[in-house]
Amino acid sequence: MAEGPKPSSSVKLVLLGEAAVGKSSLVLRFVNDDFQENREPTIGAAFLTQKCSLPNRTIKFEIWDTAGQERFASLAPMYYRNAQSALVVYDLTKASSLAKAKHWVAELQRQASPGIVIALVGNKLDLTNQSTGLEGSMGGLSLSNAAGDGDDDEEEEGDARQITTAEAKSYADEEGLLFFETSAKTGHNVQEVFTAIANAIPESTLKTRGGPGSGRAGGGATDTFGGSGGVNLSAVGETNKDGCAC
Amino acid sequence: MLNFENTPSRPRSPTHPKHKSTPSGGSHSPTTAAASYNAFMSQTDDDWGLDLNDASVPKETTVTGGLGSIASMAGVTSIEGRPLGAKGSKGAGGGYEYPLAKKRTRGLKAQFEGLVRDPGNSLHMIYHPPINTDVHSSAEIEAMNARISRINKFKTVLQSSTVDLTKLRSLAWGGIPDELRPMAWQLLLGYLPANSDRRVATLERKRKEYLDSAKQAFSRGDAGMDQTIWHQISIDIPRTNPHIPLYGHKTTQRCLEKILYVWAIRHPASGYVQGINDLVTPFWQVFLSAYIEGDVETFDPGSLPPEVLDVVSADCFWCLTKLLDGIQDNYIHSQPGIQRQVSQLRDLVRRIDSGLAKHLNDVQVQFIQFSFRWMNCMLMREFSVKNVIRMWDTYMSEGNSGFSEFHLYVCAAFLVKWSAELKKMDFQEVMMFLQSLPTKEWGEKDIGLLLSEAFMWQSLYRNSSAHLRDDGTTVHNEELNL
Repeated sequence: MAEGPKPSSSVKLVLLGEAAVGKSSLVLRFVNDDFQENREPTIGAAFLTQKCSLPNRTIKFEIWDTAGQERFASLAPMYYRNAQSALVVYDLTKASSLAKAKHWVAELQRQASPGIVIALVGNKLDLTNQSTGLEGSMGGLSLSNAAGDGDDDEEEEGDARQITTAEAKSYADEEGLLFFETSAKTGHNVQEVFTAIANAIPESTLKTRGGPGSGRAGGGATDTFGGSGGVNLSAVGETNKDGCAC
Repeated sequence: MLNFENTPSRPRSPTHPKHKSTPSGGSHSPTTAAASYNAFMSQTDDDWGLDLNDASVPKETTVTGGLGSIASMAGVTSIEGRPLGAKGSKGAGGGYEYPLAKKRTRGLKAQFEGLVRDPGNSLHMIYHPPINTDVHSSAEIEAMNARISRINKFKTVLQSSTVDLTKLRSLAWGGIPDELRPMAWQLLLGYLPANSDRRVATLERKRKEYLDSAKQAFSRGDAGMDQTIWHQISIDIPRTNPHIPLYGHKTTQRCLEKILYVWAIRHPASGYVQGINDLVTPFWQVFLSAYIEGDVETFDPGSLPPEVLDVVSADCFWCLTKLLDGIQDNYIHSQPGIQRQVSQLRDLVRRIDSGLAKHLNDVQVQFIQFSFRWMNCMLMREFSVKNVIRMWDTYMSEGNSGFSEFHLYVCAAFLVKWSAELKKMDFQEVMMFLQSLPTKEWGEKDIGLLLSEAFMWQSLYRNSSAHLRDDGTTVHNEELNL
């Protein structure tokens, strides 16, 4: 293990959201710090891992990136069952995708593990006028409109945004979700999402272990996907040496 | 491109659907929920039932759309006036040069009119490079002779006035020569009539039917279209085989999205499902290759005459329809066909390689986690399109069950191939490995071997296929009274 003596825990994370909102692109940015236009649609689900280094511990995300098309929705429970965290993604340039995201949030609240940490993520910020000038100006939450009070739709020229920050943020607050606006293309806020999730996982739900293969983590005995048992911590997909920005 | 009088430009992909066809609380659309599998069967049967009625319609009514122009194909000379590209007609792929080829549209075969009318004309267009003992090694000469002999065997079968499909299947199982594949596939799928007298009229009728359907589907622009289906198709088309230049060209994208959309609206029980976009591409590549010289994967079909694009599109549409008819329950609500195949695969691997099955179970890898995609996309994400095309020669030779049953044995053979590696891996390593299997270097020989292995497993286990029950439960040999 390259990370030294810090305790390490596995966290199962599932991505949900309408087709082509950028779920796979967010994961690719997080795991490989890479972006590809026109990636083939995900079929079923893809599995990836990435570590996230917090000051006092290391979180290894075991990520299930699900397919977005409605026809595959019946597979989703298999992937969110026992997940400790979920990233529900919408495309902030496509109004209907937020409705779909709300549907997923409701389903997770109804069916997933109680205490699951959910982040609502509006992706494709690069297609809006906010994509420039904001880089690095925000730390954790992307609250460019703060509480959003009094902010009307700012339909500026060339701005493809259809969902205001205020609208999504107020929904996220109501439901107790983490909230971010991201661009998988530029990388804006992507690390921050995963870091915030890692920080939000209650330490009590994490099983700490001393090293690779030294014990089970995550879902415990009912974890139908298993996967945590004896997992080698040197993630195959891990190339991003920065870890999380924290 | 297909030319539709009423739709000068491509309908926009809807950015905000005017009606929300998917209720946010539901997991499927009302259409699919209502339609039963049997309804779906009769639906797809209708496509061909209509045919019989159409047969009474005199050909002379073919006046609109692309097909009208096929009748007067001899008049298509204006394309000769198009500027030629800087390069010659030969593509980078080292295709054969036809001695009589006149340069028209870049890459278009001079004899394309004849091919449009009857794919049987491809039999007279096979070029054999002259064998020269000074230039060619004895191994090369042997390979060239083997190729000539193989082509001649196919020609004997294909030239007959009524093609013996049993003979064709047994020949094609081992792979079809590129030049004969378009015709052979169309025969094997039952699209092209085995009786040569019926071919020209049948093709004209089927092509017109497709073009009319497409014209009608797009005639009212956005307003008349199923926005959910169209949106999904139009976002998937640019993501289809993005690594192959052919699929980056606008003409390819416009043709493929029309084929998929027309198929989807004619099959409401499934509609368009991601993965079907992959399945149309071998047809597109193979049928397009009949009309051009050089490597089809780097070809820009934008300069082809609309008549050729119409014909290729229509042939793709019908052959895709035939293929999907055999695996329709893969794509209807809850995808029962895939669920069944996944559990069949699990049962099969338990018998073929119990050690591997036990290991996967021990590290808690579920078959559905990796093989769902194998079924949904017919292993197209695991192999190059070229290799998939070779696999389909065999699948089509297996008759109706090739894509539904033989595919299962191919998947099993494919999985157990990596048994030694997989048994050393933990959950994460298994998942990572199975998601990106090392098949980049695979060629025809590797595929041929895989297919032979699949055939062997099928021979051993098909006769006890009762063990492969729909519910996935295993029945042991003893119980089968073997």
